[in-house]
Amino acid sequence: MKKRTILTIGLAALLTAGFGSAQAGHSSKLKAAYEKELAHAKALVEKAASVEGEWRDIRWKKSKKKFLPSAIAAAKAGDYKKAMKLLKIVEFQAEMGYKQAMAQKNAGPQNYGF
Amino acid sequence: MKKIATLLLSAGLVAMSAQAVPSPQEDLKHFRDYFQRKFPGLKLDELRNGINALDENHRMQWEAMEEFPPYEEFVDKGKALWEKPFKNGKSFADCFGKDPSKVRVKYPQWDAKKKRVVTLELAINECRKANGEKPFKWKKGPIAWVSAYLGYMARGQKIHVVIPNDPDALKAYEHGKHFFYAKRGQLNLSCADCHVKYAGRRIRGNLLSPALGHVTHFPVFRGKWANKSKDGDGLGTLHRRYGGCNKQQRARPFKAQSKVYRDLEFFHQYMSNGMTINAPSYRE
Amino acid sequence: MKIKNLRITTAGAVLLAAGLVLAAQASASQSALAKGKKLAFDRKKGNCLACHQIEGGTQAGNIGPPLMNMKQRFPNKAKLRAQIWDARKRNPHTIMPPFGPHRILSDKEIDLVTDFIYNL
Ligand code: HEC
Ligand code: HEC
Repeated sequence: MKKRTILTIGLAALLTAGFGSAQAGHSSKLKAAYEKELAHAKALVEKAASVEGEWRDIRWKKSKKKFLPSAIAAAKAGDYKKAMKLLKIVEFQAEMGYKQAMAQKNAGPQNYGF
Repeated sequence: MKKIATLLLSAGLVAMSAQAVPSPQEDLKHFRDYFQRKFPGLKLDELRNGINALDENHRMQWEAMEEFPPYEEFVDKGKALWEKPFKNGKSFADCFGKDPSKVRVKYPQWDAKKKRVVTLELAINECRKANGEKPFKWKKGPIAWVSAYLGYMARGQKIHVVIPNDPDALKAYEHGKHFFYAKRGQLNLSCADCHVKYAGRRIRGNLLSPALGHVTHFPVFRGKWANKSKDGDGLGTLHRRYGGCNKQQRARPFKAQSKVYRDLEFFHQYMSNGMTINAPSYRE
Repeated sequence: MKIKNLRITTAGAVLLAAGLVLAAQASASQSALAKGKKLAFDRKKGNCLACHQIEGGTQAGNIGPPLMNMKQRFPNKAKLRAQIWDARKRNPHTIMPPFGPHRILSDKEIDLVTDFIYNL
């Protein structure tokens, strides 16, 4: 009886350990992908900021969304999936902000009429 | 020979493109004409009252407020700060001159040495730093009190921003002008969309003020800001307001007194040249 | 007698069931319209009321034209959707935000808003 219990526990422990290390391998891959994405996102944000085109919710401290800091926080908590999703939003907004600034290069007074 | 030709050609191009850009004087004329045609019933100095000039309800609320001005105690605090000597025995008068009524009209000004726009608030803090005092925070509190006091003392004088014919000063002016007209943020709105093109219309519950005369009553005393503060202090600087409007565009606000906002202020104040200072004033 | 009764009951049940299905369908589109309305009025979403008067909305602005009789203005619903998706196509200087390209609203949300506006 006792032997059997021990065996079961041992087997369970073994399985868990094995599963755990497989997961660790998976998550280190995720982490690497995340870090690459983060660097890319940050570069895009700097590019938008360099032409005064950064949008409100990317990283401004009083924004309720703060997509970039939220992505970093999610990754810290181990939720890389969420982090990657948020980084995609950061990248989209940064690219659009840059494009917008380029499109507005010649902005000036128009004949508004009334 | 070829080089000279190219040089001449590019000089010609530069001259041409320089010609294509209207001078600040021309900009000012068009800006004013536009609003005077848009609001033919209002005199130039009425326009500075923003939404209070356009809407009877706001006007009544404002007039009631001005009978017992909620900003008075903060203007008094500004006066006390103006008069209080620094630890080194000097005071603001050593930076700005003895007469507090002669300060507001000198700003914003072009600093040819450092090639930058100097706003009144920047000058206040640089004076403190030069005298070994800690600079004030930028957007509200003591800096707004001192600025409001200086504006109050200058009531009745006219905005008089000078844009020297210096390529760097013109560049700063053009930068501010561009910032004003360019759409930005997720909502793709420009300052001019709301305060030029659709001035006088309502956006949701808010009436939109004309940009002409905007700066005459800054720092402004806002009911909204007073409600948010512990001691009912609703005073805020022009750059505090810029931040609020950038946020409405869903653009990231810039820091108060950043180059962007100082250049914007250079343009924005210049557009109100000739209008009468009435700082501080009440807005909702 | 019994059989007849049974027949009637069956017919009744069929009718009832059909009625239920119809009612369910109607309330589904009713609730879709309500969703569209909510999105159109919400300050953090469409906020169309910022600039347009819309029946049932409060504190509407007057920057754009009132949105009413939309089927007459836009018999073609796809054109209406395109206007809401990106107003710059019709007027490059428009103040109306580019809801689709800037992802202020998602594709699905724009469908819901379009349905709501189309039925005004
Ligand atoms: C979405 C429309 C919108 C945009 C875009 C916008 N503002 Fe405003 N702004 C408002 C509203 C609403 C108010 C409060 C009502 C009023 O006074 O116009 C306001 C108030 C102001 C005031 C204070 C007016 C007063 O009488 O005290 C200033 C100054 C100002 N805005 C400047 C700017 C500048 C500069 C920009 C561009 C960076 C800008 N605004 C962009 C909507 C807008
Ligand atoms: C910032 C102001 C603003 C906002 C917000 C706005 N619009 Fe508009 N809209 C306009 C203006 C102005 C026009 C007139 C055409 C133009 O100037 O581009 C317009 C035109 C339209 C038209 C065409 C009307 C016609 O009869 O031709 C439709 C439909 C419309 N808007 C729907 C919407 C919907 C739906 C929303 C919300 C999701 C919305 N708008 C939000 C300003 C706005």
